[in-house]
Amino acid sequence: MLVRVQNLVKRYGNLLALDHFSMEVGEGEILGLLGPNGSGKTTTINCILSLLEYDKGVIEVFGKAMAPDAYESKRNIGVVMQNVAVFQELRVDENIDYFCGMYVSDAKARRRLVDKAIDFVGLGEFRTFYPKKLSGGLLRRLNIACGIAHEPKLIFLDEPTVAVDPQSRNKILEGIRDLNRQGATVVYTSHYMEEVEQLCTRIVIMDKGKTLAMGTKDELKAMINDGDTVTVELYALQPDHVANIRQLPHVTRAEYADNRLAVHFDGGQHNLLTLLDYLKSRDLSFGRVFSEQPTLNDVFLEITGRQLRD
Amino acid sequence: MFMHIYKYRLRCLARDREMVFWTLIFPLILATMFHFAFDQLMGRQEAFRPIRTAVVASDAYRQNVAFRQALDALSGPGEGQLIELTVTDDREARRLLADGAVAGVITVGDPIGLTVSQSGIEQSILKAVLDEYAHRYATVTGILEEHPADPGGLLWELGQMRSYTQQISFSSAEPDTTLNFFYALIAMTCLYGGFLGLRNTTDVQADLSPQGARRSVAPTHKLGVVLYDSAAALTISLAEVTVLLAYLMLALRVNFGNQVWYVLLTSLAGCIAGVSLGAFIGTFVRKSENAKTGILIGTTMTMSFLAGLMIDTMKHTIARKAPVLSYINPAALITDAFYSLYVFASHRRFFLNIGLLLLISGAMCTLSFLRLRRDRYASL
Ligand SMILES: Nc1ncnc2c1ncn2[C@@H]1O[C@H](COP(=O)(O)OP(=O)(O)OP(=O)(O)O)[C@@H](O)[C@H]1O
Ligand SMILES: [Mg+2]
Repeated sequence: MLVRVQNLVKRYGNLLALDHFSMEVGEGEILGLLGPNGSGKTTTINCILSLLEYDKGVIEVFGKAMAPDAYESKRNIGVVMQNVAVFQELRVDENIDYFCGMYVSDAKARRRLVDKAIDFVGLGEFRTFYPKKLSGGLLRRLNIACGIAHEPKLIFLDEPTVAVDPQSRNKILEGIRDLNRQGATVVYTSHYMEEVEQLCTRIVIMDKGKTLAMGTKDELKAMINDGDTVTVELYALQPDHVANIRQLPHVTRAEYADNRLAVHFDGGQHNLLTLLDYLKSRDLSFGRVFSEQPTLNDVFLEITGRQLRD
Repeated sequence: MFMHIYKYRLRCLARDREMVFWTLIFPLILATMFHFAFDQLMGRQEAFRPIRTAVVASDAYRQNVAFRQALDALSGPGEGQLIELTVTDDREARRLLADGAVAGVITVGDPIGLTVSQSGIEQSILKAVLDEYAHRYATVTGILEEHPADPGGLLWELGQMRSYTQQISFSSAEPDTTLNFFYALIAMTCLYGGFLGLRNTTDVQADLSPQGARRSVAPTHKLGVVLYDSAAALTISLAEVTVLLAYLMLALRVNFGNQVWYVLLTSLAGCIAGVSLGAFIGTFVRKSENAKTGILIGTTMTMSFLAGLMIDTMKHTIARKAPVLSYINPAALITDAFYSLYVFASHRRFFLNIGLLLLISGAMCTLSFLRLRRDRYASL
């Protein structure tokens, strides 16, 4: 385990921000820390980084207790903070070089790393810009470059893509996957489910400072009894057909309204085929067919009774 | 690592426009304003002629040997002659004054009085000379009380009178009073190095800035970062004070005597005090950035005011009313270091000032670092 957090308790005055929170990050993972605003994602990361005092709990990084002076561990960590942390008086390349230089002292190696990082976030044509001249999204990209230029083994990214346009976001996500392929372990916080679904190999869902669930995407989805939902467009379906469909294997619900038949299955395989076979056998002609997987939002909804994005 | 952090810190601080304005441009503007104000006060600078002065030949005058000696010293012919003395009776003196034949009439009493019919450069110089005499007389009396058997000290002090007035009044053609303003201005500029120190503390603390947080997660020792940053702040501050000094000496022709290295040493100690003061306020005042800046400006202005930035006699007033203030006020220590450099042949008092400055700075730095060192924060 690269990171181990056990029973972490953190209070801000009377506010209990982390309530016996635990999680682990294995080597080579892209761990998604998913939770709504104020659920304690940033607090967790800042505790792991030894920036914040905490009331209780154990934090280990690279198998050693994490501490402000654990320089050996810190050397291999990269951090992209939620708040943009760059110097207004330094140009794009200088900012990256500055932060990279706190980890890598060899100037020549650093030049290569800085170029690579600039390329990574696509800021090539903005190299000599001062942060004030960058748009919000470009600034975020600079923020990312400053955190990862030194090619750390363990990277924390705290909502790095807020305000970044979809195209650049995809490029960044792709880049993170590349870093991961080259051996970096990533902890990624976000409240964008799609991002986490797309990127992360394992997901921790948290709310109000507690771990709600963790596992791979599929494990999490398997936790809720909603299987997939198939929707079929067809005209004038008779109620007895609907009743028959309800008798098909694994079907939990079937409703027909507005010329749409919605059928819910709980697990099982080839559900779509079974349904379509039935329709064909009765000579029912149908239009478009949709099959929907449950989303992490469904998982969150199921566990908390709330929408993740409210 | 030192060079890396130091180099970029220099860039950050030097490119911070607002900072450069307050720590460099603003003092230059003040210096220029002072200069023109004094220029006006003194009229065109002409070749210096001894100031024609009458002294009323009263009994008090005849009995005050020390004062008579001082006047003799100042009016003795030669290079250093400052006044041209007419000893006469009261009525005649008044007539000479009314006719404009003398610039002022001195009446000896307690205190020694000066009557003038108009104000101008000559009158200012006379006033400065008499003030200085009164100040010195108090010192001499002090020496006599403490060491009745040390006429050496007494003679030395009295001997200073002439060379002192000579230097100030002739080599720069400016009276002592304007120098005091410039000393206080330099002191203020040194202490404005506090802006740099203040910014450093913000940029190094994780709970004050995201930059601080990012630097706190880097594998660099906090003490290192603080020291390297401070070195950069000190460099910038000293460079700015040096520019101000050069401007004063070369462009405005202010004469600080010829001990350039000592002047620079004073500036260095002053800048150390300034940067430390900023660090101290930055660490111990838990308020917003603006509030801290306000407190820093307020503190430095008060210190400079007490050291004579606006009222030239302030220094003497403090020395009389609350002497301890002049030992703990960095601005007063800086101005007094310049002053003693200029006035006294020995460097004892100069080094006392520098020593006290460094001591105070050291205390502020140590306290700040002990506080800064705290490794984790309660909240960010
Ligand atoms: N400095 C602070 N002082 C007091 N309370 C705080 C502080 N920082 C965070 N909190 C509180 O702690 C809780 C967790 O906050 P945290 O920033 O960790 O959430 P988050 O999951 O990162 O949210 P977001 O998605 O908005 O970034 C919130 O209720 C927040 O109000
Ligand atoms: Mg957050």
